[in-house]
Amino acid sequence: MAPTTQFELAQPPNDAISSLAFAPDAPSRLLVSSWDKNVYLYDTHTASENGDDAAEGGGVSHGTLLKKYEHPAPVMDVCFGADDNEAYTAGMDWEVKRIDLESGEQTTLSKHTAPVRRVVYSKAHSLLISASWDSTLHIHNPTNPSLTPLTVPLPGKPHAMAASPSKVIVAMTSRLVHIYDLATLAGALESQSGSAPPPWQQRESSLKFLTRAVAAMPSDGGYATSSIEGRVAVEWFDASAESQARKYAFKCHRQTDNTAAAGVTDVVYPVNALAFHPVHGNTFASAGGDATVALWDAEAKRRMKVYQKFADSVAAVAFSADGRFLAVAVCPGFETGMEDYNAEGRTKIVIRELGENEAKGKGAK
Amino acid sequence: MGKKKRGHPDVEEILARPWCYYCERDFEDLKLLISHQKAKHFKCDRCGRRLNTAGGLSVHMNQVHKESLSHVENALPNRQGLDVEIFGMEGIPEDVVQQHNQRIIQNFYQAQADRYAATGNPPPGQGGKNPPKKLKIENPDDIKKRLAEHRARIAAQKAAGGAPTHTPPVGAPENQSPAQSASPEFPVPPSWRSIPRFSSSRRSRVLSSPQYPQGGFNYPPSNLPSRPGSNLPAPSGLPARPGQPGFPGYSPNASTVDELVASASSGQQGGDHIDQMIRDLERGEVPAKKGDSATPADEPAPEKKIKKEKDKNVRMVYDDELSPEERMALMPRYAFVPQAV
Repeated sequence: MAPTTQFELAQPPNDAISSLAFAPDAPSRLLVSSWDKNVYLYDTHTASENGDDAAEGGGVSHGTLLKKYEHPAPVMDVCFGADDNEAYTAGMDWEVKRIDLESGEQTTLSKHTAPVRRVVYSKAHSLLISASWDSTLHIHNPTNPSLTPLTVPLPGKPHAMAASPSKVIVAMTSRLVHIYDLATLAGALESQSGSAPPPWQQRESSLKFLTRAVAAMPSDGGYATSSIEGRVAVEWFDASAESQARKYAFKCHRQTDNTAAAGVTDVVYPVNALAFHPVHGNTFASAGGDATVALWDAEAKRRMKVYQKFADSVAAVAFSADGRFLAVAVCPGFETGMEDYNAEGRTKIVIRELGENEAKGKGAK
Repeated sequence: MGKKKRGHPDVEEILARPWCYYCERDFEDLKLLISHQKAKHFKCDRCGRRLNTAGGLSVHMNQVHKESLSHVENALPNRQGLDVEIFGMEGIPEDVVQQHNQRIIQNFYQAQADRYAATGNPPPGQGGKNPPKKLKIENPDDIKKRLAEHRARIAAQKAAGGAPTHTPPVGAPENQSPAQSASPEFPVPPSWRSIPRFSSSRRSRVLSSPQYPQGGFNYPPSNLPSRPGSNLPAPSGLPARPGQPGFPGYSPNASTVDELVASASSGQQGGDHIDQMIRDLERGEVPAKKGDSATPADEPAPEKKIKKEKDKNVRMVYDDELSPEERMALMPRYAFVPQAV
């Protein structure tokens, strides 16, 4: 049924997906972290060897599960390191781990005092930053393990983090947003003084509700945030008045429900993930609890595309490094009032091959 | 009846707008609709080519990209099928057209009723103009005459044990002199009040009509065939506005006033069951309508208002200060118990 440009990966994780990450070089190498305590490494291009799963749903499944890396607790986030063979994970077990994808060897880089929510790697500064619910950031330099990780205290629990070429944006509870300068962080780590540098900028989120995701523009110009209340904001780093005047926010990932007993109801879904396109830097994807993924033009303030609904809420999205593929993590969303949660059998990873101009801004059209 | 161009188009204008079968959006003209359909529903996923119809797109996908089209993009869930051939407004199944018109009309009157409720303006053609005119031209002799009659009637009523509660509205036309302003009803233009009184027969028709609660639909001429609740009595009742014939300024009208008063008072005392019900109803609603446009049609407005507030209902799928991940982390199946450090 589905066009051949979009396919489901064979052997998806057994439980909800927390994060997706494409390798910095190979466009078909995909890491997936899951609540089932594993990190999965896929090759999205090769045909599946055991096509048993392929029959399911009638679609053609592609891709191969290369390896699985087991953790002691659910894995909350994953990112690639300096090359395609190095990965870092954020675990519910409070630990930040480095994984050698070839050998499967895991090393603990640091330990927080609460689950680790996000990890982000900056290639330019060789920095690994982890954000934990113990309200701290840990700054590591994986190339120099002799350095003790630097602890940066935060005013709230971090929920989302993203790195641009020179900055890292940390979005916390109470709508707090801190932006740190990566060079400053690297310097502070190098000095081993143990004193954390102040944030480069402190902001309040433009959105009135809990921040859900942050993504940084590859151009280093700014970033986008999303909240649990179906809204996305785009902001610029530059603190000048005219740059700040450019920032905007918009509603998305909502549905009108005419069938509700209470009359027409606007059903508002959380925007679970954001990702900027690595090549067309003004384009970003938003993934919502309404089971859709939309492409937006940040500069033109236009929606470029909404993809046909997926089977379940979209938990994560990622563009491959060459921008030709979009990975979409589909699994049931956690909703208010849920007593239990089980994503078993409903978790899927959909890879979409983007058309030539699919993610290109308006100008070309 | 001048043109009322206030940015609220007529229902006919709205109904005449071309609209898209796939997403129910409406457009200024057919050209826009067609370009919308080409861009939103008939655009090739792969090469961006815009086709004219879903069938055309299907053939294109087949021949150029060797793919099959399974559904129309961006369409409402029940309109994704390829079985209907749509081009602009062509090819929309009759029942869908009906449904659409139904919906448009309903929304239109809903919006109209909401506006009236929100602004407090009387609907067009409903007493908005006539009462003030009447007030100006009323001559003192008439007033005195009617006042005398009214007093006599009140006395008679009291003697007969009639309910005095609803005499003020009935007598309102007589209460023109400021000296009578002690009447609680005074601020309301009296002739409005008197309207239902004179024509209790019309009134009873309206009231007993099953459509009454939808009174919001009464105002406009009901030349819309598909409207289910458009009740005929109301518009036909409009031209027969009772205020005009009995209007004192046009002719020496004492007799008319007499008639009016007589009919009103006989109505009050008469044992007619329906009249009795109407009076009971009025007794209940007259105070409530104070300050509002005192037309029966406005009655359901408060109800509508509530509905509108409900329209703005928003349900957040996730609304919490804790993130979903934190919630999930609290569940036993995901819980991590740290070993002693």
